[in-house]
Amino acid sequence: MPVRGAALVAFVGLVAFWEFAVARGYVSPIFLPAPSSVLLALGELWNAGTLWRHVSESLVRLAGGWTVGTGCGLAAGFAIGVWSLGRAVGVPFVSALFPIPKISLLPLLILWLGIGEASKIATIALGVFFPTAIATYAAIDAVPRNLIRMAQSFDLPAADVLRKVVLPGALPGILAGFRISTSIALILLVSAEMIGAQYGIGAFILQAGNLMLTDQLLAGVLLISILGLALGTALTRIERRLLRWR
Amino acid sequence: MIRITRRAALAGAVAGLAAPSLARAQNLTKTSVGVLRLSSSGPVFIAAERGYWREAGLDVELKYFTAAQQVPVAVTSGDADFGVTGLTAAFFNLAGKGALKIVAAQSREEKGFELNAYMATNAAIEKGFRSIRDFPGKRLGITTAGSTFHYALGLIARKYGFDPASVTLVPLQTLPNMQAAFKGGQVDAVIVPVTLARALEADKAGKILAWVGDETPWQLGALFTSPRAISEKRDLVERFIRGYLRGAADFNAAFNQRDAAGKEVRGTNFAETIGVVARAVQQSPELVTIGLPFVDAQGRLDVGDIYNQIAFWQQAGLVARDVNGKDIVDLSFVRGHMNVPRS
Amino acid sequence: MELVCEGISHRYGALEVLDGIDLTVRAGECLALLGPSGCGKSTLLGIMGGILKPSAGRVSVAGNPPAGSLNPITYIFQDFALLPWRTVEGNVALALEHRNLAAGELRARVGEALARTNLTEFSTAFPRQLSGGMRQRVGIARALAVDPAILLMDEPLSALDAQTRDLLMEDFLKLWLATRTTSVYVTHNLHEAIRLADRICVLSRRPGRIKEIVAVDLPQADRAMPVAARAMAELGERLWDAIRAEAQVAEREIADG
Repeated sequence: MPVRGAALVAFVGLVAFWEFAVARGYVSPIFLPAPSSVLLALGELWNAGTLWRHVSESLVRLAGGWTVGTGCGLAAGFAIGVWSLGRAVGVPFVSALFPIPKISLLPLLILWLGIGEASKIATIALGVFFPTAIATYAAIDAVPRNLIRMAQSFDLPAADVLRKVVLPGALPGILAGFRISTSIALILLVSAEMIGAQYGIGAFILQAGNLMLTDQLLAGVLLISILGLALGTALTRIERRLLRWR
Repeated sequence: MIRITRRAALAGAVAGLAAPSLARAQNLTKTSVGVLRLSSSGPVFIAAERGYWREAGLDVELKYFTAAQQVPVAVTSGDADFGVTGLTAAFFNLAGKGALKIVAAQSREEKGFELNAYMATNAAIEKGFRSIRDFPGKRLGITTAGSTFHYALGLIARKYGFDPASVTLVPLQTLPNMQAAFKGGQVDAVIVPVTLARALEADKAGKILAWVGDETPWQLGALFTSPRAISEKRDLVERFIRGYLRGAADFNAAFNQRDAAGKEVRGTNFAETIGVVARAVQQSPELVTIGLPFVDAQGRLDVGDIYNQIAFWQQAGLVARDVNGKDIVDLSFVRGHMNVPRS
Repeated sequence: MELVCEGISHRYGALEVLDGIDLTVRAGECLALLGPSGCGKSTLLGIMGGILKPSAGRVSVAGNPPAGSLNPITYIFQDFALLPWRTVEGNVALALEHRNLAAGELRARVGEALARTNLTEFSTAFPRQLSGGMRQRVGIARALAVDPAILLMDEPLSALDAQTRDLLMEDFLKLWLATRTTSVYVTHNLHEAIRLADRICVLSRRPGRIKEIVAVDLPQADRAMPVAARAMAELGERLWDAIRAEAQVAEREIADG
């Protein structure tokens, strides 16, 4: 895989150039800390024993928020996709609420759910819900009608049509939606942890930003990228397994 | 209709041309200062409005920012030559890297100046949160770690001898979030500016336990610039401070006067000066009057408190250990600084 | 089983597609519905199978389906309509799974259908791995697996290239001759109609009306013989004359339905 190697070489080259530029004083470390000091900041976090706490608290929030948002989004997407009343009610509702920046609802979420885990999970869930619902009903719309007609011509009960034709037919679109929704969940992690979080990668990034500790800030950003990369890889694996037929 | 528009446009063009040509005629040196639209930056607004910098040979541009962290960043990046704002851990982190030096005072928390309040919710008060000595074990809502509110906790912790780490800090980022958390009872206490404190009290969400200034006066804000400006353009820095201090003196004379009983009295040019500040902060004069801070007439710093701030942040692990107060404060521009540590 | 259409008319909004179709598909025959594109032959097939409700008229079925028929009226589709995420045997099994068969019977039916269509060795392949002709074999196997009483075929070969089409047509004919299932075969291809059908029903352009019903007297097994060539050619010409004018107009039309 020479192309894959190229990406790695480019990445290493860029990081090396960055380190060199800071070391030689072309770039002030106040504006851009060197990669080595970012790693050092990460190492300090590890030594202080708080790295795992930041990561694990964020993971719990991500998993909770993503699961709730995805569950509700799938349900809403299916209701819209297969049920005309669901579509009539759901589509305008989703279109109207999707563009709301979820961060603007933070004060409301605090009033409703407090500043504990519930409001953080709700922030992520809200962000995940809409793209999932939209991806799901778009994926259902894209299931070829002739397959549904075929199933009906063989007298398959409606539940079987849904389970054996619509769901697997919509699966590629739904999984593509998962890719977007996991990224959104990561993006919203920082917003979610704005509310009274002492630990979590997002809280760590926020605090580093507030304190102008740019090396820590980038260390946190690095953690989020690693998390994003890991989730993306996991999704690719799942896709490969579930969509073997493609 | 068209004629009027054209005339107005022409007048605008002429005015636009006039300012720089005047500057050139008087040979004014251009410089800039980063400020927030807060009354604590009053000396800057007054100096600009009354031409004190012009008289010192400077053409100062005011650059407005919306958050305290942005001002030191702007001075570090060279977007502004000077900055006036509250001191936070972020400031000391930037200053510690050799990017900033404090040269004069901005506002100071002082006895009798009700600027920031320690507040407890009704529920917490019922459970025995009677005074600010009861902070240990409570949940305190603040904007962010490293903010001036965070330091206000450190002040009473030192005064009453409790460990600041015994208070659970709940960072909420914004004042509206803090307001919501306080009303919803998700924190036991907050430290908030006077306007918000009064609003929360009016809503019967909780009670004001004490005022920060009454408890422990401290150096809330400062005027700062880059070390490079000091070494390369010392004359400019001196002239800038001269203009600034005239603004500070006016501010103090108008707003910070007390009678023998310690009661507020309106000082010299009160109404006109309040107008200057109100226009700059874009609020009504009545509202500005409520939250007027204390500003030292000679711009003198409480140097000892700045050292204490650094020590507090270092103990909290928010500022690097190698940051040294001596390297951050330049005492040579203003005479008579207070509490200067001997070392 | 026999399929009887009485006074079938159909319209999509203002567009009249079918007009007064009276037609009986006799038990055991293969009836071809021949006509230019857009004459409503697929619509008629949909109405015959009960997928579409006609605007007027009715469809009835006479006689009882044979014992063991799970889906008396069964379609074979032009685009195969295979589920890409199911293997060959999975696609065939789809038609059976909801019938509450014993596990053994389900497997036996699938196995037999695959054997009859020469697909046994491809039973675990996915549709994307198969050629078009093989895919339609799966479609045929799926239809055979339910033991249909009436087969409704909507241009089953038109998505294939010419050689594949001929090969599959011969294979299909062999299968059909073995069972003589009542069949309706929709096509715009004269050659296919002449090769397969007992009777050919020629439809006119929109709105589709029955123009002519032509019986092909020669048994299907003999039609490929050299001696039959002349008779076949004559029949072909006669049908071509019947549909040529319609086909020409249809060709210039913009498809809109």
